[in-house]
Amino acid sequence: MKKTLAILLTLALLLGIAGPSLAEDEWITLRVETYDREIAGLNVTDCWQLKYAQEHFGDPNKIKLEFVSYARWTEGDLLTTALAGGTAPDLCLTYNGGLVQQCIDDEGIWQLDDLLNTYGENLKAFLGDELLTYGQSDHDGDGTPEQWYIPARRISRANVGNFIREDWLKALNMEKPTNIEEFTAYLRAAKEAKLAGENTSPFSFGIYAPDPLYNVRRFTDAFIDFTKVTKEDWFAYCKNPEMLPGSKEGFRWMNTLYHEGIIPETFALTDNDQANDTALIMGYNGFFSQQPDQPWRTDKNYQIELEKNVEGGHWVTVNPFKNESLGGKTLHDIYAPAGLSIIIPLTTDEKTAVAAMKYLDWMAIPENMFAMQNGIEGINYEGLTDDGIPFGVKSADAVPDENKMHAGDICFISNGLCYGDDAKNAAALALPFKGYEDDVVASYADALTDAWTQISFTVSIQADTDYGATVKSAQGKFLADVVSCDPAEFDAVYDAGIQDILNSGAQQMIDEFRAAYNAGNYRGVFPGDL
Amino acid sequence: MTTRSIRKPRNNAGWLHRDWRLYVMLILPVAFYLIFCYKPMVGVIIGFQKFNMFKGMWGSKWIGLENFRFVMNMPDFPVALQNTLWLNFLGLVAGFPVPIILAILLNEMKSIKVKKVSQTLLYLPHFLSWIIIGGMVLQIFSPKTGIINATLLRLGWIDKSIPFLTDGPHWQATYTLIGVWQSMGWGTILYLSAITGINMELFEAAKIDGANKLQQIWHVTLPGIRSTIVILLILNVGQMMNISFDRPYVLGNPMVQNYCDVLSTFVYRAGITNSQFARATAVGLFQSVVGLILITGANIIARRLGEEGIW
Repeated sequence: MKKTLAILLTLALLLGIAGPSLAEDEWITLRVETYDREIAGLNVTDCWQLKYAQEHFGDPNKIKLEFVSYARWTEGDLLTTALAGGTAPDLCLTYNGGLVQQCIDDEGIWQLDDLLNTYGENLKAFLGDELLTYGQSDHDGDGTPEQWYIPARRISRANVGNFIREDWLKALNMEKPTNIEEFTAYLRAAKEAKLAGENTSPFSFGIYAPDPLYNVRRFTDAFIDFTKVTKEDWFAYCKNPEMLPGSKEGFRWMNTLYHEGIIPETFALTDNDQANDTALIMGYNGFFSQQPDQPWRTDKNYQIELEKNVEGGHWVTVNPFKNESLGGKTLHDIYAPAGLSIIIPLTTDEKTAVAAMKYLDWMAIPENMFAMQNGIEGINYEGLTDDGIPFGVKSADAVPDENKMHAGDICFISNGLCYGDDAKNAAALALPFKGYEDDVVASYADALTDAWTQISFTVSIQADTDYGATVKSAQGKFLADVVSCDPAEFDAVYDAGIQDILNSGAQQMIDEFRAAYNAGNYRGVFPGDL
Repeated sequence: MTTRSIRKPRNNAGWLHRDWRLYVMLILPVAFYLIFCYKPMVGVIIGFQKFNMFKGMWGSKWIGLENFRFVMNMPDFPVALQNTLWLNFLGLVAGFPVPIILAILLNEMKSIKVKKVSQTLLYLPHFLSWIIIGGMVLQIFSPKTGIINATLLRLGWIDKSIPFLTDGPHWQATYTLIGVWQSMGWGTILYLSAITGINMELFEAAKIDGANKLQQIWHVTLPGIRSTIVILLILNVGQMMNISFDRPYVLGNPMVQNYCDVLSTFVYRAGITNSQFARATAVGLFQSVVGLILITGANIIARRLGEEGIW
């Protein structure tokens, strides 16, 4: 009986979709969000990729594609406004997880299960079942999660890049440090030897105001005493690593470095990025920590710029943050496999929503993705390696305006260039950085050593929405205080700071994270399980 | 001299009939205020709702004063409120007299050329965005590397950087003085025009009576612009609860968090960043209500003291 009913319903659904066949000849417009990064000469709303997609996907399907661009760094605010005003594109992307959660809570977006199952065969194959679960949550509370957004696939999940000056090591006649003692000795020696004269500032560091401990935990997690941390605690304190047993010693270590003049006096001044960048390329610093490909990125090429200013200046990866309680593991956090989130707002009608899903599915077909990510041989890149990876990739200014493109923002189901399997993708990461391939490979290898996946939850954490931002602000103050305070007062300052953070809403967050963990609604890795 | 006799209309329709052109001209500004100032005010109702951005302000659930309760119970709120009032108070005390003094000085200048050049130079900072000023401040006041500290350290006059930006009270002083510098020139415009309005005969009479420059300023200029001063003071007091976002946000830093966090930055953090528009609205409404009370109070006091007030 049930079976018949199901078949009937499916038939009805299919008929329903095939229903408006009278209007089949009519074209529809599909508005797709993209980001504007203000790349000179690239008009994202009229770019080569749009024309390619229109020709190969739009025209055969009678869909007129339109790109709507939002500035990359304010996309969340712009999209929020557009969603609230009912003017959002039919296919929206955002890195703002809070916004997506709100869309689910407020029931303003399409539930995607049917669309995905009917039109998303290639997309499902590309993303895989495990990744798709990131876009699912049980909003109606019936025990089965529904698909609310399509998570993009992150090709490279590495997040941590720690770099040291190889030329300084040579000058000091030291080996690359492998633990914190050796690393500290290197920093002190560099300061002592005034390797960059009066400007010597061995440890480049500035507070990242939007999330002050996000980068700092790379250092302080090495001091955590994992014999005293349960898996439950790890998840409960996921936004408060400063409260885990042992972390305190990490902050004390930074306090010491500050008072020895190794961490710059200006570290807490926001808006100081420019000065920090300048110091890095002028060769004043002996260490910095950012993304694993940071020294070679085209927009801020610390390596090439450094060579111009300091002969033989050379940034190489370093991995000294050894945690003794984990048997000497050097923890590195890595991104979850899910990248940006793709949603279809409810203001989009059904026909257009179908077109949106079809577009995503078209994008997932390997040959389409290759074209959308790499452009044209001879124009965007010189040729292909034996593995089918483009080499001689041109920088944006070497490509004519009409062929300029941005792989990630427009082929957004893939965060990063995808060439099939992991090995090829890893090889492709180093390929664009001619002359530094070995450095890049080594950096990624370090970034993936003893890697733990960042934590997320499958249920909405109300306390995080309510207090997340105020807790981060309290953490900023805490960090500024514990690093710069009088060493004799460190313990008192640390305790008072922790209390402030707890009062600013962290306690509620910890409780709710703990409850979510105990209910099994979590994702991510506990380093003790590595 | 002949005076044109004006026919006095007997009723309202008569006024309308006679002056209809003026009323037509009035339509535009009235429409502007209705559309851009009064209509958006309806939006404050989301301060009393659990706002759902897809359902809008007519479809969201009413929750009474819950948003107000939540925001005011956050530990940052009293700190931000106190800093807002304190920084505005400092700004008023330090910043209010400066344009008056400057206007009088400019007015007394003999050379028109020098006067015009100094006026322009004084206005300039007003046109700089706080983002740019923020960059300049960093260059000038940074510990160790800032121009002032670097110079003083090199000269050996100090052996530790002056913490202009990294110590609370120092920061508040820096913040206030930068504000004075930025706005003093612009503030002179109203006073200068008020001074121009003073009857020159009064100055001549004072001179004949043997008043020197200072006495002229004290007995003629200042009383002449007194009503302008009072009105601006009332308006300024009404603004005590309001603080711009860019200035404290750009100049502040985590080291002086407890001194630089004000209502606008607090609202940004607790409201806007997480799309909690209803809470942001609640704080905004609270600020406006207090502002209204303050401005009414200042006006009543001014009228009691025999001044004109703003209404």
